[in-house]
Amino acid sequence: MATQPGEVEAALSRRYDAGFVTDIETHSLPLGLDEGTIRALSALKEEPEWMTEWRLKAYRHWLTMRQPDWAHVKLAPIDFQAISYYAAPKKKPKSLDEVDPELLKTYDKLGVPLHERAKLAGVAVDAVFDSVSVATTAQGQLAKAGVIFCSMSEAIRTHGDLVRQYLGSVVPQGDNFFAALNSAVFSDGSFVFIPKGVRCPMELSTYFRINAGHTGQFERTLIIAEEDAVVSYLEGCTAPMRDENQLHAAVVELVALARANIKYSTVQNWYPGDENGKGGIYNFVTKRGECRGDDSRITWTQVETGSAITWKYPSCVLRGDRSVGEFHSVALTNHYQQADTGTKMVHIGRDTKSKIVSKGISAGRSQNSYRGLVKVEKGAVNARNHTRCDSILIGKRCGSHTFPYMEVKNPTAIVEHEATTSKISDDQLFYCRSRGIGEEDAVSMIVDGFCKQVFRELPMEFAVEAKKLLEVSLEGAIG
Amino acid sequence: MNAALTPFVESMRVAAETRLPGSGLAWLDAARNAALQAFVQRGLPDTHNELWKYTTLRALSQRSFSVGNANAADLTVPQTLLPQIAADAARVVLVNGVFRTDLSILDKLPTGVELQPLSRVLRERPEPLRFLLGVHGDEDDGFTLLNRALAADGLILRVAAGAKVAAPLHIVHVGSPGESETAWHLRSLIELGEGSSLDIVEHHVGEAGIGHLANLVCEVNLRDRARLGWTVVQTAGSGTSLLRRSDCRLGEDAVLDFHALELGGKLARHELRVDLAGARSRFRSRGAFVLHDRQHADTEVLVTHRGRDTVSDSLWRGVADGRARGVAHGRILVLPGADGADGGFYNKNLLLSPDAEIDTRPALEIYADEVKANHGATVGQLDENVLFYLCSRGIPRELARRMLVRAFCAVTLDGVEPALLREYCESLLSAQLPETSA
Repeated sequence: MATQPGEVEAALSRRYDAGFVTDIETHSLPLGLDEGTIRALSALKEEPEWMTEWRLKAYRHWLTMRQPDWAHVKLAPIDFQAISYYAAPKKKPKSLDEVDPELLKTYDKLGVPLHERAKLAGVAVDAVFDSVSVATTAQGQLAKAGVIFCSMSEAIRTHGDLVRQYLGSVVPQGDNFFAALNSAVFSDGSFVFIPKGVRCPMELSTYFRINAGHTGQFERTLIIAEEDAVVSYLEGCTAPMRDENQLHAAVVELVALARANIKYSTVQNWYPGDENGKGGIYNFVTKRGECRGDDSRITWTQVETGSAITWKYPSCVLRGDRSVGEFHSVALTNHYQQADTGTKMVHIGRDTKSKIVSKGISAGRSQNSYRGLVKVEKGAVNARNHTRCDSILIGKRCGSHTFPYMEVKNPTAIVEHEATTSKISDDQLFYCRSRGIGEEDAVSMIVDGFCKQVFRELPMEFAVEAKKLLEVSLEGAIG
Repeated sequence: MNAALTPFVESMRVAAETRLPGSGLAWLDAARNAALQAFVQRGLPDTHNELWKYTTLRALSQRSFSVGNANAADLTVPQTLLPQIAADAARVVLVNGVFRTDLSILDKLPTGVELQPLSRVLRERPEPLRFLLGVHGDEDDGFTLLNRALAADGLILRVAAGAKVAAPLHIVHVGSPGESETAWHLRSLIELGEGSSLDIVEHHVGEAGIGHLANLVCEVNLRDRARLGWTVVQTAGSGTSLLRRSDCRLGEDAVLDFHALELGGKLARHELRVDLAGARSRFRSRGAFVLHDRQHADTEVLVTHRGRDTVSDSLWRGVADGRARGVAHGRILVLPGADGADGGFYNKNLLLSPDAEIDTRPALEIYADEVKANHGATVGQLDENVLFYLCSRGIPRELARRMLVRAFCAVTLDGVEPALLREYCESLLSAQLPETSA
């Protein structure tokens, strides 16, 4: 394909915008992992005894597990002893006003409003910096409505019973290799509790930032929506540009009781590594929601543009009758990025429904896989699933793959899957070019149209950000 | 799991001590021995192997089989098991894995077709088969290894360049009652010369209730512009475990037209690998399985687009009733440089009973961009509206159901030639359809 030389150069010189490092004093645990590290971590966070034991149990189980290798990704072996499992800014703020201005600047630069802007934006933000939550905004206003929104560490201290009741009930400690590791060493994350009948008055959001080198981020998020509760939660993430691969192994658990509705949106923009595939985040995340009550609903929406390797399957366990699970995803890979992502929909209750829309875009030398499971258990009478999975390829050296699994054990279920893979249509490109639209813009327009179905599901601010991210990530892909 | 401990592995190890055709040839002994060692070490494939994910061999691994069948050469085979599928078809019959000259009709073998049992080739002129039997494949699983170690017979079928064979060749595998549970391993080679054309009908038949194990490995090589029509009709006995693996390689402009009707057996698995190596080579497959009771069928269609402008088009239907389990896996792999590839895999399934299960897995692996690749899969049941329409026209509900299920599967029989064979397949299909179920 022919492109103006100037355009390409300009595009290539464009960088990962969030790749700066904040110079801030941090306290971190020495490299390595053993029971001592876990006890030290637990002590640092002033956790109760049960929590320490819970972590140790996970750690002991983790020791018996092997790192899985079934994903369609290639990675160098991870040295789990070369990671620091805790890094936190030294100054602990008591309130938002005491937050280190350096930190506030960081979030400002990233476009995350922590201060008065937050109020204007109508979003409550929990900002997680390396291993700890540095600020949670709008807590007062939320408390009035009965909503608990705080960091996980705080929740363990102040709402121990709730945490104890729900933690690990969706993703057990020994669920998988990375979930077990996370259960042992998770440092912080967000905790959300929406009581019975409450519609959360604002969007909740967590912004994850990895700053320190040689660290991994292991956050744990737990969202509980009681009967008839409604909540929309957004998650964003960035990291500085480094030549090393950093590990991010998070666990997200969602619990929806009867008639509750949880909407979980992610814009994942971890540092993807440079154009030669050096550096970048390994994003190995376990996300699972359980529709525990009848008529509940969980919606996952994700836009994945970052990370050197993405390996995650936000899932829904549809236990309640008439519960609904949805998954909308855009995954874009460029350069040497690898993504193996998709979802699992497990139908257990009667009349459960699920819908999967996945859009994959691969460019450069990247590999992009959709992997999804739709499982209909014996009792899932009248279960319905529809899966639509499209991929486009930009360039000759990238790969795009689809691995759907369908396991149906109920004769009244209807499960449908369709998928296509093709490159951007020459006709569409030619049409745009003939109307005087530059090649990059044309590709960007076509990709935007391709992803529209998913962007529609995102909250407005996120949709704008996602669209921009996609443009930036695609730059340099044409040629 | 210590593979060496399972009764199955042990029985196979013991069987390997008997003398096989070709024993004594240094290169063959070495290859067989290496394959046996590898098998004993590895054991049967388990469900961690992605290609065996939905087919568990736990029960099989606890059974032991005797290999080779001394009286297979004398067993009588009822004529009903040897149906005529075309007026002038040449016929090859293997009973319990043993080639039977008396039952075969080879005088009708068309010119240009050379067909010999492996056992005879190994006795008379084994050297040319060294390329086939003396090497190991990269993607061998337990059964392929076992076959390499123990294959005692098979068919070596060659068609001369340019030969256009009009009449189909009928290959019948008969499972007949023996004294004990018997296993046999067949290794076949089908080679079509440049520009040649052949139709084969492979037929698995057997009497009910016999616990046989048949392990068939077949290599198919279609040279440039060759065309093979291949129909597999599987009505093996209800106790049979039938494991097949076929590796097909297509040269430039070669065509493979494959049909399958899987109705019998207790465990029937076919791993069909098609390598579209030559430019413009084409693969078309149509298949259906109809299962009931505790039957288990697993069809793996693994297509590799290697050459430019290659086409694959697969359409499979499945029906599971009773406590049956049907598995379908269609993988389309497009390698770098295989521009112009057009791949499709479509799989629709009907689940008719609360105790049956369908697992379907269409997969795309694409490494080139000038590509069209699609797949689709569904699992569902008969459309109530259509049923109602038929009932409202005075057709009893049960008959209406049968009509619809039959129509659902019959699309895969389009293109089966000759007409006599298609009618035969249709009658088999009708006979297999569920009589009553909710």
